[in-house]
Parts: sequence; structure tokens; C-alpha cells
Amino acid sequence: MTLLLVTIAGSAGCVVRYLMEYAVRRRSPTSRPWATVAANVLGTGIAGYFATMLFRYSDAHYQSIILTGFCGGLTTFSSAFAIPAIMQREHHWRYSLTLVLTTPLLCTGAFVVGAAIVH
Amino acid sequence: MRPNTSLTTRQLLTAMCAVAVGGAVGTLLRDLITKLDHRSVLYTGWTGYAPLQLDHNWIYYIPWALLCINFLGVLGATRMLRGPLKGHDPNDPARLLIITGFFGGLTSYSGLFVDFDLLWHHSITGCFFVAAAAIASGFFGAWLGLQRRQR
Repeated sequence: MTLLLVTIAGSAGCVVRYLMEYAVRRRSPTSRPWATVAANVLGTGIAGYFATMLFRYSDAHYQSIILTGFCGGLTTFSSAFAIPAIMQREHHWRYSLTLVLTTPLLCTGAFVVGAAIVH
Repeated sequence: MRPNTSLTTRQLLTAMCAVAVGGAVGTLLRDLITKLDHRSVLYTGWTGYAPLQLDHNWIYYIPWALLCINFLGVLGATRMLRGPLKGHDPNDPARLLIITGFFGGLTSYSGLFVDFDLLWHHSITGCFFVAAAAIASGFFGAWLGLQRRQR
């Protein structure tokens, strides 16, 4: 049962990420990769909040659904590296490097903020 | 090539379905593979995350499964974007199913940070080391994916 809910939550996370990308692409097609960065930062922030909160109650069921499922689906490691890697052929490589390197920095900030809200 | 920026409702629903299906398969696979991680097997018997109170060397808290998944995800996604999906529109259902859905659901950034948090409680140096290794594996995967295939 947990497995089914994890799958559904992950699926929902992916759809939310796609809608973020779609909304950004519609407004400005050139800044599309920043939607992926935003999805990663948002997902990591939510994970920071729930990882800290759910750890207090050590609830494996909700941990799996929210952390592995929803946040895992919302964030993506493959697009964070693969899309800039493809883009560096069309754009300047510095643009791709900026995309790749700002993601972990912003994610760290988001995770700490998410955890700090609980404390 | 200019990407298709606005979709009809029907196209958007098809796109969302493609992402949802790919994401479901990817997430399910990631969940099952991370359950095979030695941490889950040793400490919680296949049920989930390792309890913090177990005092072990930080080496035992390296998220091997997720690191491998992320590396293979980057490699696979770059290969697909270079090969079969080259030149596809970002809203193309096939690309959404595979890249945004499957590989997006399979790999995880937030999961890494949850594991870094766990590592941080054991060794701050270890946490930085594993974080650097994770980023390096992403770069290596992307580089490997961009290499021309040997004929």
C-alpha cells in the first residue's frame, strides 16, 4: 500500500515539475532551465521541512510517501545535469556551468531554511 | 528550432499523462532500488530510513544506491537527448515520458540532501566529501553521455 502511494506521489511531483517548466517556457522560452532549478530548490526545501519534522515522529510510512515519493519526483538530478550538458553546445558553456553549480548551493539554502522552520 | 510554447488543452493533458506515467515508473524503480541499499537492509529490515541513534562510522551512511541511480540517470538522459531524442520539442510526449517523467522520477536531488543531513550528524567532513562526489558523478555522467559512440 505504501508502495502504491509512493508511486502516485512521485508521479504527482513529476507533473508539478513539468507544469512549472511549461509555465516558464510559455512566458520566456530562453529561461526554461531555470524552472528545473526552481523545482529542485522547491523540492529540496519541502524535503528539509518534512525530513526534520517527520524524524521527530520517526514515521516510515509518511517519510516514504513525502520524501521518496513527492519530493523525489519533484526534484531531478538527471535534468539538472543533462539539459545544461546538451545546451552548452548551443550557448556559452558558462551559462550551463552557472545552472549546474547554482542548483546545489540554492538547494542547500532551501534545505536549511526548511529544517529551520521546524526548529 | 523554436520550441512549441503554447499547447491546446488536449495536448497539455496528453503531456501531463506522459509525465505522470514516466514519473510513476521512475519513482517506483528508485524506491525499490534504494530499499536494496545496505543501510535499509541492515538497520530497518526493508522498511525505510535508517534510525539516527545507531552510532556508526559515517562510511556506513553513504547513500550508494541513490548515488548510482543519479549517475546512471544523468548518463542515460544525456545519451537519449544526444541520440534518439535529438531535436525533439520539449513538449513532445516521447521526450516527456522518458526525460521529464522516467529519468526525472528515477533521479532525485532532495533524496540526496536528506541523506546528506543524516551524514552531517556523523561526520561533517564525510558529508562534504560525499556531496562533492555526488556533484562530480553528475559532471562525469554528463561528460560520458556527450562522448561520441564508438563505431
